[in-house]
Parts: sequence; C-alpha cells; structure tokens
Amino acid sequence: MADRLNLHLSFNGGRIELDLDPRTTLLDALREHTLLTGTKKGCDQGQCGACTVHVDGLRVLSCLTLAAQVESREVTTIEGLTQPDGTLHAVQAAFVEFDAFQCGYCTPGQIMSAVACIREGHTGSDEDIREYMSGNLCRCGAYPHIVTAVRTAAARLQGSKV
Amino acid sequence: MNDVFNPKLQRRTLLKTAAAGSAVAYAGLAFNPLTGEAAPLVAKDLNGSVGEPAVRQDGGLKVSGQARYAIEHAIEGMLYGVAVQSTIPAGRITAIDTQAASNAPGVVAIYTHLNPLAINPATPFIKGGAATENFTPLQDDVVRWNGQHIALVVAQTFEQATEAANLVKVSYAATPAIIDPDDSRAKAQPIDDLQARWGDAPAALASAAVRVEGVYTTPREYNVPMEPHACIAHWQNEKLTVYESSQWVGGARNVIAQWMGLEMGSVRVVSPFVGGGFGCKVAPHPHVAMACSAARLLGRPLKVALTRAQTFTSYGGRPRTGQRLALGATREGMLLSVVHDGWNETAIDDTHLEPSTSVTALMYATPNMLARHSIIPVNTVNPGWMRAPGENISTYALETAMDELAVKLDLDPIELRLRNWAAQDPKANIPWTSRRLREAYAAGANAFGWSERNPKPRSMRQGRELIGWGMAAGTYPVWRTPGEAKIVIHRDGRIEVLSAGTDLGTGTYTILAQTAAEVLDVPTRSVKVSLGDTDLPRAPIAGGSQLANNLTGAVYAAAKLARSELIRVATRDPKSPLHGMVAANLVFKNGRIKPSQRPGEGISFGDLLAALGKERFEISADTFKAGATEADRHAAAHGFSQMQLPTTGGVSAHSWGAHFV
Amino acid sequence: MKAFDYVRATDVAHARQQAGQPDTRFLAGGTTLLDLMKCSVERPSRLVDVTHLQGLSEIDVASGQIDIGALAKMSQVAADVRIQQHAPVISEALWRAASPQLRNMASIGGNLMQRTRCTYFRDPAAYPQCNKRAPGSGCAALEGINRNHAVLGTSPDCIAIYPGDLAIALVAFDATILIAGATQRQVLADDFYRLPGTRPDIEHDLAPGEMIVGIQIPQSASLERSHYLKVRDRASYEFAAASAAVGIELEKDGRTLKAVRIAMGGVGTKPWRARAVEQALVGKVFDEDVIRKASTLAVEGAQAREHNGFKITLAPRVVARALMTVGGLA
Repeated sequence: MADRLNLHLSFNGGRIELDLDPRTTLLDALREHTLLTGTKKGCDQGQCGACTVHVDGLRVLSCLTLAAQVESREVTTIEGLTQPDGTLHAVQAAFVEFDAFQCGYCTPGQIMSAVACIREGHTGSDEDIREYMSGNLCRCGAYPHIVTAVRTAAARLQGSKV
Repeated sequence: MNDVFNPKLQRRTLLKTAAAGSAVAYAGLAFNPLTGEAAPLVAKDLNGSVGEPAVRQDGGLKVSGQARYAIEHAIEGMLYGVAVQSTIPAGRITAIDTQAASNAPGVVAIYTHLNPLAINPATPFIKGGAATENFTPLQDDVVRWNGQHIALVVAQTFEQATEAANLVKVSYAATPAIIDPDDSRAKAQPIDDLQARWGDAPAALASAAVRVEGVYTTPREYNVPMEPHACIAHWQNEKLTVYESSQWVGGARNVIAQWMGLEMGSVRVVSPFVGGGFGCKVAPHPHVAMACSAARLLGRPLKVALTRAQTFTSYGGRPRTGQRLALGATREGMLLSVVHDGWNETAIDDTHLEPSTSVTALMYATPNMLARHSIIPVNTVNPGWMRAPGENISTYALETAMDELAVKLDLDPIELRLRNWAAQDPKANIPWTSRRLREAYAAGANAFGWSERNPKPRSMRQGRELIGWGMAAGTYPVWRTPGEAKIVIHRDGRIEVLSAGTDLGTGTYTILAQTAAEVLDVPTRSVKVSLGDTDLPRAPIAGGSQLANNLTGAVYAAAKLARSELIRVATRDPKSPLHGMVAANLVFKNGRIKPSQRPGEGISFGDLLAALGKERFEISADTFKAGATEADRHAAAHGFSQMQLPTTGGVSAHSWGAHFV
Repeated sequence: MKAFDYVRATDVAHARQQAGQPDTRFLAGGTTLLDLMKCSVERPSRLVDVTHLQGLSEIDVASGQIDIGALAKMSQVAADVRIQQHAPVISEALWRAASPQLRNMASIGGNLMQRTRCTYFRDPAAYPQCNKRAPGSGCAALEGINRNHAVLGTSPDCIAIYPGDLAIALVAFDATILIAGATQRQVLADDFYRLPGTRPDIEHDLAPGEMIVGIQIPQSASLERSHYLKVRDRASYEFAAASAAVGIELEKDGRTLKAVRIAMGGVGTKPWRARAVEQALVGKVFDEDVIRKASTLAVEGAQAREHNGFKITLAPRVVARALMTVGGLA
C-alpha cells in the first residue's frame, strides 16, 4: 500500500507538486500543506460549507474531496479571487460594504459559494438567494447582510442598476 | 409627562400613539415617542467616525482569506494531536490498549492516565481564578461524563493521528450514571447567594385574586462557533506561546500558566482572530492543557484541534434548566407576588451557575418576592457560558408568565408591564442609572403597528398559517472592568492602537479605530488597531458585553492624552515649528495640528515628530481609579477581581430592551 | 480514516475488476463514502475513483423514457430543462436534497447508494451494537433516541431510515436501475432497495464487482404532472421528516383521477410506495376530502417507537398536501 501519492495539483492557477497521504482531503492539502489557510475547516464532515472552494468552476466542499480527486482539475480558493494587485472581487467588496460577516470564519466559504451562486443564475430573488446559499452556515447570524451583499454583487456583475 | 408613560393609560390612547408612530416610520422619518414629533434624519459627511457607518477594519483581511485564526500557522517540526474521549458517562477505565495505536504509522506518543501528562489544577473563576472548569485530563482513571478526554494521540500528520486515535481500545467498569436532573438520585443544591426574598410571597400568592403558574424548561444549548476549538502550543526554552482561539488572552494566560506551573510572564497567548465564541472561548478548555503539556514533553510544537463532534463534550454550553414560576396579581393587574424556583444541571463534581433568578428580581415592582435557584449535579461535562447566562432563561420564564397573566387579566401585555413599572432596582433598592424600557415599548409598538394586533390567542391567520404577535422585555447587566490601551504615532504618519483585547466578530478592531480617530480627527481608516496578544497592553475579558465599553474608555483616555501631549510638545519644544504658540489657539483637523485663528496648513503628526527628531510617540492610558496598584492592573487583565458589579457605586446599571415578534 | 490504496478507473471493466476485490469501494462524489470513512463506519482498503469514466454523465430524453447516466451530477440533472419539464418530481427531489455544493459533487449513482443517518450507525466507537454494521450485535436505536427512525418497513433488528429523496421519486414512477455486472441487468428501483429483515447490512441488490451505470424512467402523463414535497425541521439543507413524490393524471373531465403515483420518504427503511393510497384514489374525484381520507392508508402497518410516532400523523398529511399541490388545490 502506497503511503504517499505524488500529486500534481493546480491551486489558483499555480501548479504545485505534493507528496500526500492518500487520505489527505483537499481541505487539508490547502490548509496544512500549502498554507492556503483562507479555506476554513468548520466541521470536516460536509455539514457547514466553510470549506467551499471551486473545482473546475463548480462550488464543492473541500472537506469531502480527496486531494487525489482534483489532480488535472482547476481548484480556486478565496485567495484566488482577489486580483494580484489586491483589488477585491465584486462579491468580496460587497461583503465588506454591507457588513456581511462578523467573526469572518464562514466568510471565505460564503463568498466562494456566492460567486458560484451568481454564475449559476440563482440570485433572482431573495428567496432564491437564501435557498441556494443554504449550504453555508453562519453562527454569527450575518444572513440578512449576506443576502444583501449577494443580491447587490449579482446586480453589479450583471450590469444592472442596484 | 407625555401620556404614553402614564401607568393608568387606557389601551385606546396607547394604540392611537402607536398608529401615529407607524405612519411616521413608513415615511422614513424618526419619531420621537416623548414629544410625538417627526423629524428627518440628519445627513452628514461620512468619515466612518463614531456614530457613522464604518466598514470593518479587518474586513479586507477576512474577505480575502488573509486573517489568520488560531491553528493557521506552520511552525517547523510541528506535530498533530488528537483527543480520545470516553464513551460511557460514569465509572472507571479498567484498561487502555494502545498497542495497535502505537504501532500505527507516524505515531510519536500516546498519553493516557497510565502515561499521564503533567497538568496542575487551575483555579476556577468562582474561586477567584479564570478557569471555567476544574477538570484536568489524564490525571486519574475516573470517568465523569460521556465524552471526557481520556487520551491524546500524537503523530506526524493529522491523518495518522486521527486513525491511531481510532485504534485505541478502552475498557470500562461502568457505574450507574445520573443523566436526568429528574432522577431520584440527583441531589439539588440550593445556592443561597442567588436568592431574592422580600415580603411573604407564598402567602400573598395564595390570597391573590388572579394567579398564573407554569413550569418552564430549556434544553441544553451549544455555542457552536464556526471555528472549532483548536490550538498550537510552542515551547521555546521555558517560554510557552499558545495560539489559541480566545475571547480573553489574559485569562487564557492565567489558566495556562497554572496548568503548566509557570509564572504568567513565561506564557504568551496569541489570538488576533477568533472564529466566534459566544461565551465558550473565555477560558482555555482542557484539551489546551493536554496540548501544552505534551508539547513540553515532546520538545516539539503541537497542534491539537477538536473535531466538531468533540466540541459538544470537551466543554459545556448552556445547561439544561427548569423553573417553576407563579405570579399573583390584583384584578387590575398589579403584581402582588412572585414565587420562583429554578435549577440548572451541572457536572457531577463541578459547579456552573445559570441563575434563573437574575431577571425575576429586577424587572417588575412587586411587594412580595421569593426567587430561589439550585444546581443539580449529573454526569455531564461542566456547562459553560453562553449568551447571557442566567438572564436568557430567567427572562424566558418571567416574560412568558407575564404574557399568560395578561391573557388571564384580559389586559394588553404592554399595559400590564407599564402598570408594574419598577421605578428603581427592587432588589438592591437603589436608583437605576437609566431605564428607557418604556421608550422601547413605545418604539416597538409604533414600528410594528401594535394597534393592529388582535389580542385573542389564535385569532390571526394568513392562509393556512396561524400568526402570533407578541412582545417581551429583556435586560442585561452592565459589567465594568478597568482597562489599558496604548496609542503609537509614527514618524511616517501611521497611527496605531494597541490592546490585548479580542475581536470575535464583535467589531473591536473598528470601534477602537473610530474612537481614536474621532479624538485625533483623522480618518478612521488611517488608524491601525492591533489586538489579541498578551504582549500588547493588558485588557479584560471579552465577555459579559463589557469589552466595548472598557476598551473604548481606555482608548479614549489614551487619545485625549495623546492630543494634549502633542499640543504640549508642539508648543514647548524649541525644535517644533509651532513652538511658542498658545495651546488654546491650536486645533486638530484631519491629521494636522493647525492654528485656529490664522491661515496656514499647520503640521502633520508625522512631520512634527520628524522636526522633533523622534521616531514615534507612545501614549498609554487606562481607566483605573487613582491609586490603583500594579497588582490591581494585573488582576484586571487576568481575573475577575476588579470587575465591578452593575450595582457598584450605589446605582443599578443595566441595558433594557423590548422584543416584538 | 484507515489507510487505503487509491486507484483511478480507466473504463467500466477496469472499475468492475477493481471493485471485485475485497474491501473496495467506488469513489465518485464521495459525499457519503468519505463522510462514513471519517466516522470509521466504512473502512475500505481500496478506493476506485470512477469520476474520469467517459460516457456515463449523459441525460437523454427520448420518446417514452428518460435515461440518466450514473455519473451525472445531482445539480446537473436538477437544472436540466427537459427533466424540469417532463419529470418535475425528479428535479424537485434533487434540488431539495443536501446543499448546492453537495449536489455539485454527488453523482446519481452515488446518491442511490446513500446510507442512513442513524446516529447510532454513524458512531461505532460509542455504539458497538448496530446490526447494520455488524449483524447480530444488537440495535441501540430501538430503546434509544429514535425520533429520526423509521415507522414503516422496520424489523426487530433495525429501524434505520432510508434518507434520500431521488429514490423516492424513482420508486413512485417505476424507474429501473441499470447495472453493469457479469451481465448487464436492470432492476426496478423498488426491488433494488431491501428491507432490513434479519440482514440490515444488506441494503441493495448489488453484488460485489457490480456497478450502477444509469437509471431509466418511463415517461407518462403523471410524470409530467408530478411534484416532490419535503417536510423537515429546517427549510433547507436537512433530511425529510416526511416527504412525498406524487404524480397525477386526470380524465378528460378534468376532475376524475385516471392515474396516480405516490411514494414516501423520511418514514421507511426503504423508499415507500403507497400503492394502497393509489388504488383508493384511481377513479375518484380529485378533491380534498377524498384525498385526505385515502392518504390515511399511506401508513398502514406503521409501527412507532418512543419518539417517532409523529411520523405516522405527519406522513398522510404530507401525501395529501403534495397531491393537492400538484392538482392545484393547495
């Protein structure tokens, strides 16, 4: 039994080669092995959404994904959302503008989920936003501001008047 | 006085005022319930100063994933520890087989009560320390609750430690456990300090014309912050640094120092970002003791994170409670008697108080009161603090009972409360500092159109759903602890505020920047706040809703002192371009000190420092009373002895609110 | 998790050959398997990653039937406009399940294999007595906290609920499951799921080395007019307290029921087809009183434990409400 797999991974457009225990989740590959700690571990069992990242553009839970499964796939994390010059993505900016967080621990997962939610076309109404963001828990209770931030960012990205 | 606050107010008049308020609110105006006037909200230039909307100072870091929480650090040589917990609620461990676990790949060490970790007891806060539980893990073979730590497995990687922990085999000799507070073997212990008693409440209840009585129970409630408890313990010679998710680095340092048998000065606790606490991160919990002790033995940094499941038994949340509450009143709704008996479960050998009597004795005027509280030890993890411990459950029972009394009296619930207005603290018999509860009732009634409400239960529906419409009052005491803060002004113009206080999403980073910015007249975003490190100026607990008050006070004092010091050196130091000017003629404007009467740009803080040949300007201040000793200052940051009660000073200080649903 | 070998399957034959070895599991989305591996319920020595297999993610709506590949994602199928139009119950059952992230990960094949959420099953360290994990060891749920346990299809050995949603719709509409084994075979969804009986460890009609490759749903008027109602403690991201997949076809008079399909979730040890209710309704006038009366037959034979009796009251109401909704009465 191989206790290490040699994996060629792609995080935020950057290629990285890691020798990992096959049991290593994508979440721990990010947090423990590449120090991309922006993605958070809230439950490690797929129940809170704090670990949400994009794999080939789709939002998924990195805690229930093995690192081995994302070889040859593009992984985008919260760190990859900000421009190299520090410019925030419209969703990140909206979260700051509308105070859509308190402790900040659910926030990267919320933002990654929201970016995908907008791309999926699931922000047509506040009910839609609440339903399609339901996979992201927030114990500080920032939900109302999160809905406002997502709605506003969606409108801006889609070029509508806010 | 406006009729709104007349206790004998007729319902019709109250509703008329409420209707007027509602109409005004919809027009986007502000309604003054005292005068009945409506006025437009004032628009201002927004600088993010105190009283204005401001974005959070830490927002940029949080939304870009750059804020580092407790275990988000890599330290060379770091190992991973995973806790193993008991699976029976009471008894003894008869055997722990660690053979398979020890042989698992990557395992470095396994600690149990047979291979124990050196952990000294830490003083619980109810005995003058800062710990929230008396349990020290791995010190004996006794199992006190289901989910108690009984081993720590350390390995090279998280995956290896997790699997090895799974291979540990434990045998127990179980003894009968007490799980249910209703168990006949469970023994209630009355807590006399929590009693409130005046008059003869049982007799007055018996003779009251109208009575309601109910039993109110609440289940366990867990804090469940999004960030599970986790820490890194890092020894460097005999100095220990702990990266710990903490609401109070000073208290954490106190507890950790006791556990490890160190002077506090040898312990540093770092917690700049906390992923939620809600009361469960005010003190480090026993897994931190295991992490620190194991790291010391191994001579390696050690990361120990609780699994989400483990967070439900590694420390406690709000305990299960029960209350029997009876109210007696006249037919006009004047309270004659309150008889209240409550209890909370606690650990079988530890004490947590969740006082059901907190609010009963405060909220309403009554000539007769008997409120008592007990604890009932059962085999559970010691409960802990969670969002208004005591007030939460006390208000629930009392306000529900008042609601039921209102129905029985056929009286408006707000009116019932107004009729039993407590003009001063009924328990301490001293004046309130302020009590704008009647304004809160009126504002809520106005905003929610209370006049539309049909008071008959089950009378309102929307489609297939019954609609309820109610209100309740709430209160929370004002706790105060003196604190310290430091402001640093740099030659390059940077302004910093430094404090060991924590921000767990509460906004400390931002309000301290706003406070300093307002006094120094600089944009809020130009003030950088550093928090959550015992190397920074000492600060009290972020708990009991007091930190904002404590720290803004200290920062305000430091900023005022900085102002006067800047003026002093600006006018007195020969190297200063403003040398010789009269202090009273100088103003602070947008980061510069300038003459108020004459034209000219004045000088920026940085340029002033440069002219004086200084790199930086440090000002420390605090809110301690004159004569406070170094021991007092130390105590304020590391324990509760300096914390003032709501009644300190002969006035009773609480916040008051009304909740409309 | 126990250490395992990780293998990527190159084609179905390779996948099957690997899976035929002992202690081996297919890995697609991983949303059930990895979760149970973290709980130490599943402890495979080998994982066969099938996510790179080609040709198993298609959705085909030909005349008469709907074909969905086993590796199609839940989110992909839920969003497919042809599914939304011709089999709304399937789209609804899918998008009301789990969370958006989980639906992007989970495959249709994996979703069918989803295992129970029974808290005793999921906690081997604390509860060694679990007949589903270890036949003959006992069942901690019988005298434990059983609020979320089954009232239909139970045995003295096991009362664990089948927690999924899609399979409820498949069972209601006589879908078949396509299996690649020694031979290619098809089995009715209702027959694919096993009652616990004395062997609660055997949940599916799937032999070692066999692999689900797709599902097939016959089209019908009642499938076109179908609906999934999921009643639960939370509005979203929560398993069913009771659910119903229903479909109706009315006669030309617009009032009389020509065909009706009903299956329930959240109440049985397997998806529960409510044939007695269907039979009681065919030929009847579609109105609330008739529906409510017939729906009481949905829980014939139900057995409550200490905490789950509410499901016997709730399930018929959920069936009735789902029927009324799809028929425009609610």
